[in-house]
Amino acid sequence: MHDGSGLIAVQNLTKQFGPVTAVQNLSFTVSPGSVTGFLGPNGAGKTTTLRMLLGLVKPTSGTATINGRPFHQLGQPGRVVGAVLEAQGFHPARTARNHLRVYASAIGVPDAQADQVIGLVGLGSAADRKVGGFSLGMKQRLALATALLGDPQVLVLDEPANGLDPEGIAWLRTFLQSYARMGRTVLISSHLLAEVEQTVDQVVIISRGQTMFYGPLQQLRQSQQKRVLVQPSDLNALATALRAEGVQAIEQLPDGRLAVSGVESKQVADTALKAGVSIYGIQEEQVDLERLFFQLTSGQYAGYAPAPYQQQQQQGGWH
Amino acid sequence: MGNLVGAELRKTTTTGLWWGLLIPTAVLALGWGLATGMLGQFFVDFASSGDVDEVSDFLGVTPDQWKVSLFGMARAINVSTIFPMVFGAMAISSEISRRTITTTFLTAPSRMHALLAKMLVYVLWGAIYGLAIMLFLGVGVALTSSPGQLPDAGGWAMLTLVCVLSSILMTMFGVGVGALIPNVAGAVVLLLLYFLVIENVLHGVLAYLEVPAVIGFLPNGSINGLTGSVSVDLFLSAAGVVPPEIEDVLRAIAGASGAQDWWLSGIVFLLWSGVVFAGGWAVTQAKDIT
Repeated sequence: MHDGSGLIAVQNLTKQFGPVTAVQNLSFTVSPGSVTGFLGPNGAGKTTTLRMLLGLVKPTSGTATINGRPFHQLGQPGRVVGAVLEAQGFHPARTARNHLRVYASAIGVPDAQADQVIGLVGLGSAADRKVGGFSLGMKQRLALATALLGDPQVLVLDEPANGLDPEGIAWLRTFLQSYARMGRTVLISSHLLAEVEQTVDQVVIISRGQTMFYGPLQQLRQSQQKRVLVQPSDLNALATALRAEGVQAIEQLPDGRLAVSGVESKQVADTALKAGVSIYGIQEEQVDLERLFFQLTSGQYAGYAPAPYQQQQQQGGWH
Repeated sequence: MGNLVGAELRKTTTTGLWWGLLIPTAVLALGWGLATGMLGQFFVDFASSGDVDEVSDFLGVTPDQWKVSLFGMARAINVSTIFPMVFGAMAISSEISRRTITTTFLTAPSRMHALLAKMLVYVLWGAIYGLAIMLFLGVGVALTSSPGQLPDAGGWAMLTLVCVLSSILMTMFGVGVGALIPNVAGAVVLLLLYFLVIENVLHGVLAYLEVPAVIGFLPNGSINGLTGSVSVDLFLSAAGVVPPEIEDVLRAIAGASGAQDWWLSGIVFLLWSGVVFAGGWAVTQAKDIT
């Protein structure tokens, strides 16, 4: 049987769908006690990886284990791992309560557990309505309730914020963090870092089926160079003075400010003082994770930039 | 395993499909029953009119004692069990279409467990459908037949047995096809086409080629043989000595031409169901659920 460690281990996982390599030699581990974000653009192989972990898709090579065991060796999987997956269906004519009772029976938990989880996700008042009439957000809550039926040690969620309203997302965030704090494992996928940034402690970033970054979110933040944004009285004078000091990474922003990378704001202010340039505003830019995420994952399915509309209009316009 | 069987049973009772298909099944069985009695009455009146006395001499009993209702009942069972077969066909195919199969597999120790639990529950449903068919059919026949044409208590018991068996086997066959063709419309249309058209054409061809014995080994031929052979046996047991030529004609009337003994027919069809289910199992086991 499984070791009860709550550890998810993905090792050299590869999946080939005909000529398409969906996942290529992917490796990472997820530990209990924290929420781990599984990030990558659409089509990066997130869903396929999660489905391999859950025994729904057979890997071409490599292994994916929960508690040291592949899914089909878990014995009573519903009590070990709960999952919310995209494209997880419901019978439209079945009520939410009956849906949960079906799977409560399959997992072997009492019906009272179904009533409890339906209250927990805030669907208590809709329990006896048919799922066919549910909104996307309600279905997502019901899927989460289903995942929680067996009180599992490991929770795997694929794009759980889809269809949830801001209130629902905030609730989910708190819920997942407290779930992880109970010493359980939470793995949550998303194609938007910003969406899960406040929820996750660890991140696994994949692109084109490969791991691009794997570690604490904090470490990812620190790897990003800081920028100082400054609004001087004379842009050119300050830029020249900075270059004279060997600072090369200077950029003019559209709003008229200078963005200076690789320096402290103190140095910029001192240089400005020496050059006789007034400073109207200065700030150190907060780490822009989204930009870093973009750099890590860009390249897949890259489209062309749209043709400059302004220019075309001028050419064809009145002269 | 008990948990999974409970879950599968709940799946069938928490939607309306079971009674949505049971109502037309009952109506069809009742209709066949009523028609069987009326046709039988008409036939016996005709046979008793004097011109066909030779036949009655042949069979050793007077026409009003012929248990003609048996043939209609065999046919009624064959037709009515199409519904439990369709019910079975939707067991797995609808779960795949609606993508509830994901949750089913996530909450089962293995896919094999999930499929076996499903099969057990549908065997139970097959039996329920079979009993309902017999009940409504029996009521229909009893209302329109004269007592002399009806089977005795042993005959009723035997017919009920083969009706329930036939219904169970048809449901199992449906479950297998539904697993093999994971598309509700595809599975149902194929089954209906095969059982109502394709194999009937095949029967005609085989009869023309003078190898009617093969018919008893085809899916529809064998399941018809299960009920048809029983009804012919029951008819003959009440009719005295009958020459083999007449027996063949009677078998054809019962919809069981070329059929083996009822128990052998049942085993043949069980094998067909087994083959189809094994195929569906293999497909489902290897399938990537995406």
